Amino acid sequence: MTAAVPPPPPPIDGAALATRGLRKSYGHRLALDGLDLTVPRGLVYGFLGPNGAGKTTTMRLLVGLIRPDAGSIELLGQPYTAHDRRRLYRVGALIEAPAFYPFLNGRENLRALAASGQPVQRGRIEELIELVGLRDRAGDKVGNYSMGMKQRLGIAAALLGDPELLLLDEPANGLDPAGIVGMRETLRALAAGGKTVFVSSHILPEVQQLADVVGIIARGRLVREGPVAQLLDEGRVRVRVTWEEGPDATRLLEAAFGAEAVARRTESDGSWLEVQVPASRAAEVNRELAKAGVFASRVEAGSDLESLFLELTGERVTTDDGSTGIGGVA
Amino acid sequence: MKLVGSGLRKLLQRPATWITGAIVVGLMALVFIALGATINMSTVPEVQRAALKLLLQFPGAYTYIVSEIISTGGLFLIAFAAAVAGSEWQWGTLKAAVARGESRWRYMVLTLAAVALIVGVVILVSFVAAVAGAVAGAALGGISSGTLLDRDALLALPGELLRAWLALTEVLAIGFAVATLTRSQLAGVGAGVALFIGEQFATLILPDVIKFFPFNAAAAVVERPSIEGVTTAVLSPDAALVVTTLWLCAALALVVVATERAEITG
Repeated sequence: MTAAVPPPPPPIDGAALATRGLRKSYGHRLALDGLDLTVPRGLVYGFLGPNGAGKTTTMRLLVGLIRPDAGSIELLGQPYTAHDRRRLYRVGALIEAPAFYPFLNGRENLRALAASGQPVQRGRIEELIELVGLRDRAGDKVGNYSMGMKQRLGIAAALLGDPELLLLDEPANGLDPAGIVGMRETLRALAAGGKTVFVSSHILPEVQQLADVVGIIARGRLVREGPVAQLLDEGRVRVRVTWEEGPDATRLLEAAFGAEAVARRTESDGSWLEVQVPASRAAEVNRELAKAGVFASRVEAGSDLESLFLELTGERVTTDDGSTGIGGVA
Repeated sequence: MKLVGSGLRKLLQRPATWITGAIVVGLMALVFIALGATINMSTVPEVQRAALKLLLQFPGAYTYIVSEIISTGGLFLIAFAAAVAGSEWQWGTLKAAVARGESRWRYMVLTLAAVALIVGVVILVSFVAAVAGAVAGAALGGISSGTLLDRDALLALPGELLRAWLALTEVLAIGFAVATLTRSQLAGVGAGVALFIGEQFATLILPDVIKFFPFNAAAAVVERPSIEGVTTAVLSPDAALVVTTLWLCAALALVVVATERAEITG
């Protein structure tokens, strides 16, 4: 008697990429613990998480470098397994550090890579060298490239096959500010052209500017997923009032928004009342106080990605490059 | 075929290819010049002098040259093959190809095929250099090279060189397989060279068993002239050819299985 095999889950309509219950362990260490992702087509998806949260493991699974212990992956609308490697002809990827032969120049490296996988159109390599701004250095050996130049070449390599889905692991690593702006414009243009861009990053303001949708991963699980605008609108409105007016203001806001939505906090810069309502209702909060003659000295609405991230993952900001980033779990 | 072509272009631009090739070619020429220079030294016993003369005497010298290319060249070429395979893992270039949808085993096997083609050229150039060295050595030793163009020997040469190429391809494949398991250039080169040297030492202890081992079998695919005081391969050339082919297949199978099953995390 054989055990009944459960039928595969139905495809998720319109998704460029989806995972369901994805699990992966390295020995005793659980890297992914039932990851459920849904990446709609034609937009930029920001994949956020602290170090060791499972971002790179997810990327490796998506391009078949490693195999999942459990769960399923859908790539471009179809279930994806180790036997479907040709599906990757429609996917471009930059996983971890860019990988090149140091003794070949940039152009030759792209030619060498183009010999594998999907055939590359004539002229595509020169087009990409131009796109990533390496025209003047394409003839130099990659061993002499800076980190940023390797990263640019890596992005060019990911775009070789004119992919429908682009998977980029920390693409801004090593790029200078101009390079970051250029990359952002390129990725936005690709999404505008109907391609899907899946970007993992620890540079939160960058993702906030780049992504349409973000997914936040912590300890191998997705803890929040949604459009950036919606996530930023969530959260709270903070109003600052004088200490004496605190009790009155609390009573007024509790009457208007419910007792459970209001909390009073004392911080180093004074007394704050937090009201758990969408940022779009900030004016309403202010109006309720003003009607009763209580005037807030400061009103803060909504959240930024960093605050949301820290709230969801409990991580601290500890990057060493001066940018706002995520650190924590090794 | 695109992968083989690309593999050849990469190898031709890789400094290690030229360095390894130059060492093997240079060594082959030097070995035979040195032999010739040694013959007339007063410290060389008469018996040994006669044996050395035999090695530089054409057409018999051809067989010795091919045999020497396999044994001396093998050490450098196993290191070279291990470096090529190890770098594919270490530099992440295999990872990049797999992420583009390339078949893992096809990529590695065709990379090995490109190395084998390059080594074919190295064998030919080494052979020419060794013949030139042997002619020079013979001149130094006062031996005539008048039989250099012996018709029968020249007709047999393509077959001998093909055997040498198969033997060295087996050696390469072993180096490639070892580096595929270690996934590192340095570890692959170290392990490959250690296996090569270890097998030579083991021959002294268990010759009847070790003759079936990969490097001994490879060295025996061409008949090595018998030199007094020197142990010759025990397997007959034809038996060695079969054993070498089996080792080559086993090494290729190991490369395929190890690459297909690997979790590429580097």
